[in-house]
Amino acid sequence: MGEKKKQKSHLPLRLNVLFFAIFILFSLLILQLGVVQILHGEDAQAEIDRTENVTSKTPVPRAKMYDRNGNLIVDNDLKYAITYTPPRNVQPEDNLETAEKLVNYMNMEDTDSVTERDMKDYWILKNREKAFSRLSSEELTLSDSEQYQIVLDRMTQEDLNSITDEEMEVIAIKRELDQATQLTPHVIKNEGISKEEYAIIAEHAHELPGISVSTDWERVKVNHPTLSNLIGNITNRNEGLPRQDINHYLSRNYSLNDRVGESGLEEEYEPYLQGQKEVRQHITNSSGEVIKSELVREGERGKDLMLSVDMELQKEIDKILQEELQAAITKHPYENRYVDRAMAVMMDPDTGEVLAISGQRYDRDKKEFYDEPYRVLYDAQLPGSAVKGATVLAGLDSGVIQPGERFRDQRLQFKGSPDKGSWTSSIGSPTDIDALKKSSNVYMFRVAMRLGGHWDYVPKQPLSYNGEGYQILSNYFKQFGLGTKTGVDYPYEATGVLGSDRVSPVKGYEVLDMAIGQFEAYTTIQLGQYVSTIANGGYRIAPRLVKQLHNPSNTEELGSVYQVQKPTILNKVEMEEQYLNRVQEGFRQVFQESGGTASSYFNDAEYKPAGKTGTAQAFIEGVETNNLSLVGYAPYDNPEVAFALIVPYTGQGNEYKINNIIGRRMLDAYFELKEERELGNKKSSEDEEESEEE
Amino acid sequence: MDNQRQQRVDTFLITTIVLIIGISVFTLYTLGEAYSSFEGYYKRQIIWFIVSCIGVAAIMVIDFDRYRKFAWPLYILGIFMLAGLHFLPWAWENNGALRWYKFGSTTLQPSEFVKVFLVVILAHVITSHNEKWSTKNLKYDLILLGKIIAITIPMFLLIAIQPDIGSSLVILSIAGFLIVISGIRWRTIVTLFGTAFVIVASLFLLYFSNPEGFISFIEDETSFDHVADRIKAWDNPHLYTDGSAMQAIKSMMAIGSGQLSGKGSMNYQVWIPERHTDMIFTAVAEQFGFVGSSVIIILYFLLIYRIIQIALETKEPFGTYLCVGIVGMFTYQIFQNIGMSIQLLPLTGLPLPFLSYGGTSLLVYMAAIGLVLNIRSRQKSFMFESDNQ
Repeated sequence: MGEKKKQKSHLPLRLNVLFFAIFILFSLLILQLGVVQILHGEDAQAEIDRTENVTSKTPVPRAKMYDRNGNLIVDNDLKYAITYTPPRNVQPEDNLETAEKLVNYMNMEDTDSVTERDMKDYWILKNREKAFSRLSSEELTLSDSEQYQIVLDRMTQEDLNSITDEEMEVIAIKRELDQATQLTPHVIKNEGISKEEYAIIAEHAHELPGISVSTDWERVKVNHPTLSNLIGNITNRNEGLPRQDINHYLSRNYSLNDRVGESGLEEEYEPYLQGQKEVRQHITNSSGEVIKSELVREGERGKDLMLSVDMELQKEIDKILQEELQAAITKHPYENRYVDRAMAVMMDPDTGEVLAISGQRYDRDKKEFYDEPYRVLYDAQLPGSAVKGATVLAGLDSGVIQPGERFRDQRLQFKGSPDKGSWTSSIGSPTDIDALKKSSNVYMFRVAMRLGGHWDYVPKQPLSYNGEGYQILSNYFKQFGLGTKTGVDYPYEATGVLGSDRVSPVKGYEVLDMAIGQFEAYTTIQLGQYVSTIANGGYRIAPRLVKQLHNPSNTEELGSVYQVQKPTILNKVEMEEQYLNRVQEGFRQVFQESGGTASSYFNDAEYKPAGKTGTAQAFIEGVETNNLSLVGYAPYDNPEVAFALIVPYTGQGNEYKINNIIGRRMLDAYFELKEERELGNKKSSEDEEESEEE
Repeated sequence: MDNQRQQRVDTFLITTIVLIIGISVFTLYTLGEAYSSFEGYYKRQIIWFIVSCIGVAAIMVIDFDRYRKFAWPLYILGIFMLAGLHFLPWAWENNGALRWYKFGSTTLQPSEFVKVFLVVILAHVITSHNEKWSTKNLKYDLILLGKIIAITIPMFLLIAIQPDIGSSLVILSIAGFLIVISGIRWRTIVTLFGTAFVIVASLFLLYFSNPEGFISFIEDETSFDHVADRIKAWDNPHLYTDGSAMQAIKSMMAIGSGQLSGKGSMNYQVWIPERHTDMIFTAVAEQFGFVGSSVIIILYFLLIYRIIQIALETKEPFGTYLCVGIVGMFTYQIFQNIGMSIQLLPLTGLPLPFLSYGGTSLLVYMAAIGLVLNIRSRQKSFMFESDNQ
């Protein structure tokens, strides 16, 4: 042990010497760090700002859209483009020089965008001495920008006239060059570039700093125009980001000249469609030349949308609406002189997926139809009796009527108000189900009266109203989507015209009108949600135009599924199942039992439909017309499709029941297409089997 | 007594290591967020850390004194691994350097392992020598010095010809630290280091008096072209912006622009290649400025301070030598790595211990820490003796 001790005696001293040396070394590091970071830190930052802080973002083509069967709806058309990527610290003289060379190789006939200021700037650049000789010696002492302003002011029309047509092209090109931001590709021209032009510029690109040829894209809507205005538009490159949302986009790393969705689905799904730009960081030397470009983030096209719409069905329904509008107008030209539109929507009641959404507007002057499917979401109309299902449910659930309770369908007479009756006579004393089947207004009035506190009807007594009926009925309606947002995946939808918006406070008489769909106006999609809620057993589901999102693929095929849009249940109608069943039964009888208001149109349909008709008085230019509506679903016992439609301003007294005809044809179209596809599948699978056998 | 032996876990050392690893993982995460080419490295670093913790536990099972038995076999294994680069089939040349083995997609850099093997063999040889020689004289000095040099030089040369100047200098640093501590008398040490200093100084003098002639001599007559490049670039970086000095200039810009308190997390403005490995210090310095950089240096200083303290406290000379060898390894790597990114030293490729991304190197440094913890945990056996003193 002693030996060891002796042996170790030198250690503490030497360890301390080492430790001291290490301490000195580390102090040296901190000292040098202080010099680099604190003493020269600002210089380094200035150097970075001058040379390093340069990234470029190259946009990628926007994602595509497909229909539910994978058919392309919105595509990108690639086309040639001439782009300019300015180096750092580029001067106007440099751009002029480039423009003058470029004009020899490309055509820039479109010089409309050139402003007078552009021309003046050009002239001053070319005639610098002459321009500045117009300044007095006194003015020469002013600041540069003030001098320039005076020179601009002194320019004459003669000066401008001296600019030749070829020079105008140079100015137009220079104008584009000036708009580019450093190191970011800017499209100078992408319209009508010929193959020769493309080849010549590619060949001479080396003598044109920053100029290159590449491809650009343009949005193309296949199957134009049926869904076009629903799909919406994107801004063009000159518009760039929409002014009102500029900060929203800039904070999400957009550039000012990015094309973004400004309406419709393009706007709603912008974050998915845009994709990820390719980001490069450029490493430059002190004279600003790019030495190396480093890929920071790879570009990726956005997520392709698969719409829930079935394009084949959509076209079929567009056609039905057009044909029936045309037929109604041809058969009763005078009565139907105000008919100019029809809206229809078809959806899956269990998922809210919109299978077809059609809005047709007829221009009487041009005698042409226009596809305006957005009207299904925007255009609110009085629906008439189609809403009676909700009224009956309000009565049953609130307990003001009992299942099977009867009211005599007689004209109601009130002291101080006009009489109120049903559209048709001989309804007798209907139960709740009969009241739906035969569309008894009186039954609904009695429900509404009771909701407002007027229990028993005595003729010629004033209508009493406790002030609560409207709110109660309105709350029930909203549970079915009537008078509230449906939650559709679209940037805008109308909530309809609510009673409380029209008058305040709502009076008892108006609650009676509301019970028969004669007071509040709703959109077609709201009616679609309402009937889907009844069809699916009480779940109010948000309608959806987009079924799922797909990853981008390089082939024509759809890429793998990125995200499936799940059904959004907005609320469950809280009431006993038997009440809902009674309304469903009423709806069935409307379509299937003799005496039902639409039975003559539907009773022979194999797919067992159910639904409710509606007629509302609507005044246009002081003339009383009828809004004809229809809601329904099929098959009644296991609904797979629901629909709603409305044709406003049909003539009174004409017997062309356009709502029922369209409804029947729509359902026929749906089931025929389904059968056709099932047969097709069967056949193709049989073919496969056969070929296997061979 | 045995119970006490197992109890001593050095929380100070462990805390320091965990803090540095934490900073490493965070920095790799921010790099991954800022640049897609660095994505995911932080996760792999976490996995490597967990793997190496298991390694540390394994190393601590056996009493460190018993590692003396393995000293020679490990040394021979190390030499074999280095020499094997020239004849084994898995040897892999990359960027003109014959430095790695490649098995499938994983690479292995033997020069990382041999650093620790060298520490163990030198510590063993010095201990054995001191056990045999009780009196110190010139003969004692020269024989010990001869042994150390004889062991170090083959390893140094095998690494230097890869070429890997950085790692070979680490080898010299380990030997140098151990020579100071080995018991060789000051006069011999002063003579040795004096001679080395004169040689290096005259090389520098040669360079500065006739830079071109000197450089062309290195380029033409030796295989150390890249060394010449780096010396030139270090001397006058702005002449070589696109090549060898680019990294030096970029790292100076990145670190400098961090200024006092940095640009904030994930705010990177400068692109630097290899930023997740050798240049990771620039990432901390750009984000957190002088304050953040100083925290790193202080953490490293505390780490070294603690290892030296353990070296002082242990009563086993072998333990002391192990600790000092490890200190030699860490000190040089830290000083060289940070020094090169702030232009105190020319560029050489060396990772910053625990902070740089890299599986092999992390494993090796953690193994070294495992040895230190092992020494620390066996200290108490001499408690009574130290009490008597």
